[in-house]
Amino acid sequence: MKRFLKYSFLVIALLSALLPVYWMVTISVKTEIDQFASPPPWVRFAPTLEHYSDAFLSRSFGQYLVTSALVAVASTFIALFIGTLAAYSLARFRLPYGLDNKLSLWILSTRMFPAIVTAVPLFLMMRDLRLLNTRLALIIVYTAFNLPFVVWMMRGFFAEVPRDLEEAALVDGDSRLGALWRVVLPLVTPGLAATAVFCLIVSWNEFLFALVLTQTDAAMTLPVGIAGRVTQYEIKWGVMSAAGVVAIVPILVFALAVQKYLVRGLSLGAVKG
Amino acid sequence: MPKLKRSFSALNRRDLLFALLLIAPALTVLLLLSIYPLFYSITISLQTETAGGFKWGLTNFTRLISDPFFRTAMAHTFVYAAAALVFEFSIGLTLALLLNSQIRGRTFFRAALLVPMMLPAVVVGVVWRLMLNPNFGAINGTLKEIGLNTESLTWTASPRLALLSVIAVDVWQWTPFVFLVLLAGLQAIPQEPYEAALIDGSSRWQTFRYVTLPLLKPAILIALLLRTMDLLRVFDQIFILTEGGPGFATETISLYIYRTAFRFFDFGYAAAMSFVLLALTNVISTIYIRFLQTKQASV
Repeated sequence: MKRFLKYSFLVIALLSALLPVYWMVTISVKTEIDQFASPPPWVRFAPTLEHYSDAFLSRSFGQYLVTSALVAVASTFIALFIGTLAAYSLARFRLPYGLDNKLSLWILSTRMFPAIVTAVPLFLMMRDLRLLNTRLALIIVYTAFNLPFVVWMMRGFFAEVPRDLEEAALVDGDSRLGALWRVVLPLVTPGLAATAVFCLIVSWNEFLFALVLTQTDAAMTLPVGIAGRVTQYEIKWGVMSAAGVVAIVPILVFALAVQKYLVRGLSLGAVKG
Repeated sequence: MPKLKRSFSALNRRDLLFALLLIAPALTVLLLLSIYPLFYSITISLQTETAGGFKWGLTNFTRLISDPFFRTAMAHTFVYAAAALVFEFSIGLTLALLLNSQIRGRTFFRAALLVPMMLPAVVVGVVWRLMLNPNFGAINGTLKEIGLNTESLTWTASPRLALLSVIAVDVWQWTPFVFLVLLAGLQAIPQEPYEAALIDGSSRWQTFRYVTLPLLKPAILIALLLRTMDLLRVFDQIFILTEGGPGFATETISLYIYRTAFRFFDFGYAAAMSFVLLALTNVISTIYIRFLQTKQASV
């Protein structure tokens, strides 16, 4: 009896977690007649791919997709490069006045600002710089947004590498940068990859900054594109759902890849800002 | 050999320079894009536009006190945060306890339960607009099928149910997060205290109350801290689901700030409100962190 209760609770939780997502997937492949059918068909309907071609070929969702991917990859790459250097320094060197610890905490604290607090001044700054409605604006903002996260994740991974290895390399006449590149970095590659994946997820999912900074088809990311259509009258539900399905596929693949680091990443604010 | 060996603890000038050089790019980026905007925001919050140009003063802050929209937005934010926190915590803890025991298909359950949390907020909005739609949504469709009258159940379109609906969607998306953090906390607890409790003949409730709960406290506090911070600043899902409506029934503080800045272009007032939000999240996180430190010291 107890076992039965346990499993029924788990199965109910499982169904509530997955059925709504499944429902969106079915809407994305249903004809309009099936979408509005009553009772709602969960399984029995003739699937169609028309909404996908409608969204990505006839409408601008293909363009949003490219922007999302481009912005996510570029900002991740820059944040990873800058952040890893800083993380290595903060993990390895005792700076005078305990500056290393103070700087680390300060860097983390910049991540804790509510997004709307920085969204207002960043909009005005980007307007003054004439960078509104450009992908560059998003790349810049996401780089800054991901940076504290990279520093803290990588600082943790560097701290796990024994110092003897670098010291041996230094004794062999390697420079500090050479020791970092040839000895330490190969040892933290799994951590680096996990950090990169988290940054990609955050940038891919991000909504508020993208909404504020981009309003034209040429610069809009996928979430803003979807949101713009959702809040209008006469919503094309099939198109929305198709775009939604395409938006979650890379995320689920990525999430599987970083399962092992999920708790660590999430405690430092991955996935959501 | 000792002559050559450069130690990491005592820094010579060259190494200090190297260390600072590595940090410099990151610091520059953060100063320009996190700290400068904050100061920029302070200056605009201290300015109000009048007929004769910009005037300096505290008008934007004094205006807050008598603004009914601000008050309701604050009330919505607190109700939203408190309700979501209670449900996310109790369901998350139950799931974590269930999946911490030896149970078949544990890895599968764990992975599948995490799905909602990974989704972009916008997609969560789309998913639940499809579920809750009064005309063709899966929820009302299913209720109708089992013979219930769904006419009054318009969910996000109903002033009475809208706040409840957006809270339910938050619980749906973020309970997995609480579950994940608590499960990790449970798995970090060593076996010995449980063996001792078993020998002492304590009941299951006693074991939970006096062994599990105290040892889980740091994980509980971290989960609650991170959730509280996110709940107080919630924006994305509500924006997609209701845009703060119907009327202003689901307008939280972040949505009101957004409306003020990007619909009415009153940036000064929006900035002033955003500092109230910032102060609020700061105070609450400080309290949590205090708790966390004293608890860790006493364990």
